[in-house]
Amino acid sequence: MTSIHLSQIVKRFGDFTALQEMDLRIHDGEFIALLGPSGCGKSTTMNIIAGMEDPSEGRVMFGDRDVTALPMQKRGVGFVFQNYAIFTHMTVRENLAYGPRMHGAPRAEIERRVVEMADFLDLGAILDRPSAGLSVNILQRLAIGRSAIMEPAIFLLDEPLSNVDAAFRAVMRRELKSLQQRFEQTMVYVTHDQLEAMTMADRIAVMDHGVLQQVGTPLEVYNAPANLFVAQFLGAPGMNLLPGMLDGDGIVLEGGGRIALDDREVRTARRATGRDVVYGFRPEEARMGEDGVTRPVSFVERIGARTILHMEGGIKAVFENDVAVAEGRPVTLSPNPGAARIFDAGTGARLEG
Amino acid sequence: MTDTTGRTLPAADPAAVARTAVRDAKDAGGGTSTRLGTWLTLPAQLLILFVAVFPLLMQLYLSFTDWTPLSGRNWTEAYTLWAGTWNYEDVFADDRFWGALGRTLLIVVVAVPVEFLLGLGLATLFMDEFPGKRVLYSIMLVPMMIVPAVAGYMFYLLFQSDGPINGLLSAISGQDVAIRWLTDPDLAIVAVMIADIWQWTPLMFLILLAGLLGVPQDQLKAATLLGAGPWQRFRTIVLPKIKTIIVIALAIRVIEIFKIFDTLFIMTAGGPGVATETISVFFYKIMTLELAWSYVAAAGLVVLVGLSVVAGVAMAFLPKPGKRA
Repeated sequence: MTSIHLSQIVKRFGDFTALQEMDLRIHDGEFIALLGPSGCGKSTTMNIIAGMEDPSEGRVMFGDRDVTALPMQKRGVGFVFQNYAIFTHMTVRENLAYGPRMHGAPRAEIERRVVEMADFLDLGAILDRPSAGLSVNILQRLAIGRSAIMEPAIFLLDEPLSNVDAAFRAVMRRELKSLQQRFEQTMVYVTHDQLEAMTMADRIAVMDHGVLQQVGTPLEVYNAPANLFVAQFLGAPGMNLLPGMLDGDGIVLEGGGRIALDDREVRTARRATGRDVVYGFRPEEARMGEDGVTRPVSFVERIGARTILHMEGGIKAVFENDVAVAEGRPVTLSPNPGAARIFDAGTGARLEG
Repeated sequence: MTDTTGRTLPAADPAAVARTAVRDAKDAGGGTSTRLGTWLTLPAQLLILFVAVFPLLMQLYLSFTDWTPLSGRNWTEAYTLWAGTWNYEDVFADDRFWGALGRTLLIVVVAVPVEFLLGLGLATLFMDEFPGKRVLYSIMLVPMMIVPAVAGYMFYLLFQSDGPINGLLSAISGQDVAIRWLTDPDLAIVAVMIADIWQWTPLMFLILLAGLLGVPQDQLKAATLLGAGPWQRFRTIVLPKIKTIIVIALAIRVIEIFKIFDTLFIMTAGGPGVATETISVFFYKIMTLELAWSYVAAAGLVVLVGLSVVAGVAMAFLPKPGKRA
């Protein structure tokens, strides 16, 4: 167990900058998810923590120990790979015993630790089975157990659920979360799946284009996105973002129409550097009403419990159950009170006031 | 729409349909159709059997006779010269045969391990990126592409007493080196082995490289993170994963060395004396110079049986298909 501090990390591959001055503190015993689209630098961040890659600039601290120059085998980091990287030519027992064996532990001690870990992870009955052909949830437990037996200070998980079919992911998520709570380990979890991040993580670090966008609890990043990217990336579908111009006590939208703001929202919007702002609200936080955003409906998606309206200009609205709308006809959406988030169009940052 | 529905309705349960189909096939005389299939493929099967087995049977037949092309009879009448097991008794008592077999085995135990270790070393180097890798890769494979007879001429010239190899050694040592590579009975076999190693290390390299590329990188990284050093990684991850490929590569080379002929024949023709006479050169000479065909037939079968035993042992080391990957 230990905290991690990534201090001003920069990573370049030739001309390409994969990470830009990343600064991230991960607390002791915390489950943090690195979330972002592919190519955002989340895996690079993880590889730098593990020591598989060296940062071009900056330092990696475990607790108050600088490990930047420490090779990966000496960092005491447990790593669970995307495909689990189980040694398929060995039995479950041999897989678990691998770490202690490589460290030259005495035979009796290896045996004791393997049995202990197997009991803890409920793998005791299959210890002598070949590990090729085990089911994916057993592979996940085995991969975690194989790392955990070395009692690593930090656990790194690289999209371990991306090869699992959707129906099984819920089971795997629950199991992973409960394992983390039992091990009380600092865990860093890389994923592009916001559902995994939202359900499992204590905090989420959202990344894009090598830049750390926001760090916060799942509800913080969802409710109070720091900028346009986070607002649009989180949520399914993401936040509606309507560019417009501040005009008195309202915003004139680019696609036509005007949205009235209350006093507090006006004060917030006035903090923008110019008059260009972006008006945002979640698709779930609107109802059909008299004033608001009026756009023709381009497509209606009915999925039983919910109905998603796709409107022109990329605006979406989510309603419970069915609503009586016809494709091609205009609909007026009124964001709920307090639903509005206002962003500075110039900087992309959300305005607070 | 109704038409489609109408037709697909009976097939609502595909499993049931499949079951019915299977039962129908059995009822309609699945046995007969299998038997018919056998009859239809019989000519092809017989042809293949003939091609594969006939030469072997002919060899077996001749090996029990004293027939040679000079005996003035067709080979089919060789039974008139029936010799029983004399040929086999001669083979087991023939020092020249055992000498040739011994030299072949000597080349096997020296050249194959050297080719294997060089090939493995080179393949390991080629797993990393380095400048000029692609060019070097192509160059590496050139020896394998050269016609063995041409390789034989190359080494014949290289190993001349006043040839480039002695020239190089002279330049390095500063003295006049005139090693009689191809005419000294002890050195000739060394020269032959060097030629074989030069020509066939690339094949070993290529096969082993393919094996190494198949070792999952993630598992190697996982092993490193669990504290395994390079040698431990090789022993515990790489070696078990490429074991099958190693056995195949070694088997190919061992069998090929039993067939070594063209390179060697051009370099030394089995000489001086019988110093480089391997088993194939021995067969060739007995057959063409002494015309003792039935004797060669018997000796050939002895070698075939011996090699089959070796191959059987090697196969025992291969994992069974379907068992652990």
